[in-house]
Amino acid sequence: MSQPIKDNICEEQLFERIYKKHSKNLHDFLYYKFGDHLNPSDKVQEAFIKLWQNCGKVTPDKAKSFLFTTANNLMLNAVAHRKVVLKFEKIPQKKSTNETPEFVLQEKEYHEKLQKALGKLTEAQRVAFLMNRVEGKKFKEIAVLLDISTKAVEKRIYGALKKLREDIDGL
Amino acid sequence: MTREELIQKWLDHSLNSEEQKAFEQLEDYKDLMQLNNALHSFKSPEFSVDKNYQALRPSLKKKSTQSWHKPLLKVAAVLAICFSVYYYTTTLDSTFNTEIAQQTTIDLPDTSEVILNANSNLVFNKSSWDDQRNVKLNGEAFFKVAKGEKFNVVTDKGIVSVLGTQFNVKHRENYFEVKCYEGLVGVKTKDNYTELTPGNGLKIIDGKLFANEKEITTQPNWLRGESTYVNTPFKHVITELENYYDIKIVVDKADADRLYTGGFTHKNLELALKSVTIPLNLSYSKSGTSIVLKRE
Repeated sequence: MSQPIKDNICEEQLFERIYKKHSKNLHDFLYYKFGDHLNPSDKVQEAFIKLWQNCGKVTPDKAKSFLFTTANNLMLNAVAHRKVVLKFEKIPQKKSTNETPEFVLQEKEYHEKLQKALGKLTEAQRVAFLMNRVEGKKFKEIAVLLDISTKAVEKRIYGALKKLREDIDGL
Repeated sequence: MTREELIQKWLDHSLNSEEQKAFEQLEDYKDLMQLNNALHSFKSPEFSVDKNYQALRPSLKKKSTQSWHKPLLKVAAVLAICFSVYYYTTTLDSTFNTEIAQQTTIDLPDTSEVILNANSNLVFNKSSWDDQRNVKLNGEAFFKVAKGEKFNVVTDKGIVSVLGTQFNVKHRENYFEVKCYEGLVGVKTKDNYTELTPGNGLKIIDGKLFANEKEITTQPNWLRGESTYVNTPFKHVITELENYYDIKIVVDKADADRLYTGGFTHKNLELALKSVTIPLNLSYSKSGTSIVLKRE
C-alpha cells in the first residue's frame, strides 16, 4: 500500500481506491464460487458497507481479507438461509450462426458437458481455475488474492484441468 | 521440457515463444484450446466498478459524520432521559384516595392539614405550591388552612377560596356543600359568589341552592364518626351511607326524593339503618350485600 502510515481507512479517497482495487476481484470470486443465484454484486456492496462501518478498526493492508471474509460469510449465510444446493450454471452465450447444424449441436453438447464438469469441481478449484482461465490471472496474482501459496494455486488449477478433461471425456 | 511442465507454464500464461511452439506440438493441444475457448462463455457478468461505487456512496455519507458525534449523542440521550424523569417526578401531582369507610389525614406542604373523608379523592401539586395553594377535591374533606396566600379548593361545582381558616367541603354527585367553621370562606360557583362566616354553610343539591341554618360547632360531625342532615333529599343520605358501609341500598323512587332530617353513625350498620329508616317510617331487609328499604 502506498500509505503505510494510515491505521484506518475512514477517508473517502482511500476507501474509493480500495473499492476500485478490490471490488471486481471480489465480485468474480463470489461469482465463480457460488454462481449467480445469490446476487454476488449485492454481496460486494454489502461487504463494502460493512468495511466502511468498521473503517476505524481496519488497516489498509487488512482491508482485502476483511472484504473477502465478510463477503464469503454473507454468501454462506444466504446459502444457509435458502437451504438450496448450489449448482454452477450459466447459459452459454450465443455465437455466430454460420456453422453447420451438426457443429452447433456438438458445440452445445460440449458446453453442457463442460458446465456439468465445472459444477463437479470443488469450490476452491473452480475459483482458482476460472480466475486463471477466464480472467487471465497469473498464479501469483491468484495466490495473493486468496491468501494462499503459489504452489497451492498451481495444484488447484492443474488438478481442476485434469479433472475437467477426465469428466468431459467420461460423459 | 515435459508435457506437464508445458501445460503448467501455459496455465500460468508464462510460455516463451520457443515453449509456445513446443506446446502447440502436443497431441492434446487442440483439446486444450477447445476447452479454453469454451470456458470464456462462463465469464462472470460485467461488474462496473465506477457505477457500483456511485451507487454505494449514499450509504457511506451517513457514517462518516456519525463517527465522532455518535458517542456524544448517547451521552446526551442518557442525560435527557435523567432530566425528564427528574422533572416528571418532581412536578408530578400528589394524589390521595380513600376507600369506603376510610379516613385519612394529609399534611400539605405548608402546615395546612386536610382530613379526607370516606370514598374521596384529593390532588395537589407540590412543586407549584409556593405560587398557588390549589387542591382538587372529589368527595368530602375538612380543611385547617395555615395563614398565607390564597388557598383554593377546586371542584367541578365551584371554587372555595380562603386565607386561613377551617372549613368543610363536600362534593359528591349532584351535591355540593361548604361549611365554614373559622375565618372567612369565599365560594365561587358558576352563577354567583358567596362569602361564608363561621357557622354558616352553603348547599347546592341537584342544581338548587339551599340556605343552611346557622350551626355552632367547631368541626364537622363526620370527624366524630357520624353524619347529620337537615332537609336533605333522601337519596343523598343513601349514597352517603354507602360511602361508610360497603353495602348497596335499594330504595323506592318515591322515597328517594323525600326530605330527611337526622343523622347516622359510621360505626354500627344496624344502628345507622334504624336511624335512617325510622324517621321516614320505612323498614329494611337484607339480601346479600344489598339492603332493600320499604314502606311499612
